[in-house]
Amino acid sequence: MIDQLLQMSVIVGIITTGVRLATPFLLAALGEMFDQRAGVYNLGVEGIMMMGAFVGFWVALRSGSPWWGILAAIGVGIFMGLLMGLISITLQAEQGISGIGLYMFGVGLAGYLFRITVGYITGIEGFKPIAIPYLSDLPIVGQIFFNHNWMVYFAFLMVPVSWFVLYKTTWGLKIRSAGMTPEAADTLGLSVVAIRYTCLVIGSIAAALAGAFLTLGHTNMYADNISAGRGFIAVALVYFGRWSPWGILGGALFFSLVDALQLWVQVLGLNIPYEFAVMAPYVLTILALTVAARQIWGPAALGKPFNREGD
Amino acid sequence: MKKLSILIVSLLILSALLSACAGQQQAQKIRIALILPSTVDDLSWSQGMTEGVKAVQAELGEDKVEVAISERLGNPTDAAAAIRQYASQGFDLIIAHGSQYQSVLEEIAPEFPKTSFAYGTGFQAHDNIFAYDPQAQEGAYLQGMLAAKLTKTNIIGVVGPIEAGDAIKYNYGFEQGVKAVNPDAEVRIAYTGSFGDIAKAAELAKAHMDAGADILTGTAQQTVGAIRACAERPGVYWLGNDMDQSSIAPNTVLTAQAYDWKSVVMQMVKFRQEGKVGGEHLVLSLANGGLNIVVNPNLSSVIPADVMAMIEQAKKDIIDGKLVVELPK
Repeated sequence: MIDQLLQMSVIVGIITTGVRLATPFLLAALGEMFDQRAGVYNLGVEGIMMMGAFVGFWVALRSGSPWWGILAAIGVGIFMGLLMGLISITLQAEQGISGIGLYMFGVGLAGYLFRITVGYITGIEGFKPIAIPYLSDLPIVGQIFFNHNWMVYFAFLMVPVSWFVLYKTTWGLKIRSAGMTPEAADTLGLSVVAIRYTCLVIGSIAAALAGAFLTLGHTNMYADNISAGRGFIAVALVYFGRWSPWGILGGALFFSLVDALQLWVQVLGLNIPYEFAVMAPYVLTILALTVAARQIWGPAALGKPFNREGD
Repeated sequence: MKKLSILIVSLLILSALLSACAGQQQAQKIRIALILPSTVDDLSWSQGMTEGVKAVQAELGEDKVEVAISERLGNPTDAAAAIRQYASQGFDLIIAHGSQYQSVLEEIAPEFPKTSFAYGTGFQAHDNIFAYDPQAQEGAYLQGMLAAKLTKTNIIGVVGPIEAGDAIKYNYGFEQGVKAVNPDAEVRIAYTGSFGDIAKAAELAKAHMDAGADILTGTAQQTVGAIRACAERPGVYWLGNDMDQSSIAPNTVLTAQAYDWKSVVMQMVKFRQEGKVGGEHLVLSLANGGLNIVVNPNLSSVIPADVMAMIEQAKKDIIDGKLVVELPK
C-alpha cells in the first residue's frame, strides 16, 4: 500500500499538484497580508476573487487572449480595493461587516454578470505551461517547480518580493507603522489614509489575480462559485503565517500539499475512508496552528479605523 | 367616522372580488416552483431539470404553466424558507431538486395539504410528496462496459462529489459494468468532498490522468471542471452524466447518461390533474425511457461497432429484466 505512495512518479505528482493548488492561496493571502499590515482586514477576498475570476474569464473569452483577461482582472482589483477603502477607511465602517458586504457583493455580481453576458458553461484558451530553460530539465525538481504557467511562478516570486518590500524599503516601514501605531505615523507626517488605500488596492489586485488564476490558469473555464471558499482560507492563512510572507508560503504549501496528498491517496485506491482524506488538510492545519500557537503577534491597530481627531 | 367605515367596507369588498378573480385564474394555470442546489446553467443536474420543466411549459403552453426558479439553495435550511414561501404563495407543484431536501419537505408538506411537493433522488413518497428516482446505476453499467472496452491502460478514474444519492448508485453500477467486461481493469473512485468545486474536480481529474487513467467519469455539477481538464490531454475520454455535456469538450465527452426530466414533470402534472397530489414513487429507468445513453456524434467513430452492439444487447437485457444491476445494500 504505502510503497505505492513512495514511488518517485507519485511523489512528483503529489508535489506538482500541491504547487498548483497553493497558487491562488498564495496570491490572495499575500495581498491580504498587505491589507492587514496597514491595519485593515478585508474579509471580502472571496468576493474579489469571484469578480476577478469572472471578469478575467469574460474578457479572455471575448478578446481571445487571456492577457486581456489579466488586465481586466487588475482593473477589477483596483475597483474593489477602492470600494473597500471608501467604506472602511473614508467612511470608517466596521471592517468585518464591510468585508462580508464586499464578499456578498462580489459573489452576487459575478454570478449575475455571468448569467446576462454568457449564460452557459464554456471553455477558454488559458495560459499554457512555460518550461523554464535548463531548470525544467533537472530531474524531479524540474517537473515539480519549473513546468507551470507564468501565474504560478509569479505567485511564488511574490513571496521574496513582498518580504523585501515589507522589511527592506521605507515604504514597507510606513505600511507597518500604519498598522502598528497609526497615530505616531500621522505625527511623523505620513498619510495613514493614503497608505491604507494603497495597500487595500494592492491586496485587492492580488485577490482578483488569484481569482483570474482559477479561470485563466487552472480550469480554463468559469462556473458558478468557482472560488468555492478559497478566499476565506486565504484570510486564515495570513493568521497562520503570522503576517509574514514566508509564514504564508509555509502555510499555503502545507495546506495544499496535504490536499494534494489526500487526492492522490484516493486516486491510488489506498484504503482510507474518503471523508477522512477530504478533511485532512483542514484538520492538520488547525492542529499545526494549535501546536505552534505560542504567541500571536499581529498589527496592533488591525481593524481599528484611523481618525485624526482621535476618537 | 361613518365615511371611513364605508371606505373600509368597500375596500374589503373590492379586495375580496380581486382575490376571487385571482383564484379563478390560478385554477386554469398550473404554477410550478423549482428549487435548485446550483444554477440553471450548470450543464448537469440543475440544468437538466430546468430544461425538463421548460419543455413541459412549452408543450402545455406558456399561459397554462407558470414557472418560478430559485437557484443556489444547496443548503436545505435556506431551501426550506423558499419552499415555504412558494407554498404560501399558492404554487401547485414545488420541486426541490435534490435528495438533501427530503426531510425539509416532510416537515413542510403537511402544512400545505393541497400543494404537491417533489424531490429526488429518493424513493420515499408521502401524501403530497412525489419522490423521483433515476436508476443511475443502469446507464452507469452501460458506460462501465464502454470504459472497460476502450481503456488502453486498464485504469479508469471516477471523479466523485460526496458519497451520497446519485453518486453511490452511479459508481456502483459503473464498476459492475467494467468488471463484467474486463475484470483486469481497475476502477479508481475518488471524491472531492464537494458538489460545486470545479477547480478541485479539475485537479482530481489531473491526478487520475497522471496516475494512468485514460477513461474518466463522474457525477455532479463540478464535473465540468474535470471534463475541461481531460480536454487538455489527447486520447483521454470522459463519460458524462445528467445530460449531454459534449458542448464543453466536443472531442473528449464520448457519451452521457441523460435523464429525461420532462417525462417526470409531465407525470406529476398529470397526477395532479387526476386529483392525486403526491404519494407516487416515479422511477426513471432505461425501460421507461426516463434515462438513456446519448453518444456524441462527433466521436461515434471511436466506439467500435461490436462494442456498440454489445452495449445495445446489455441495454435490452436490462430492459427485459434479464440483467439486473445491483445496488449497494
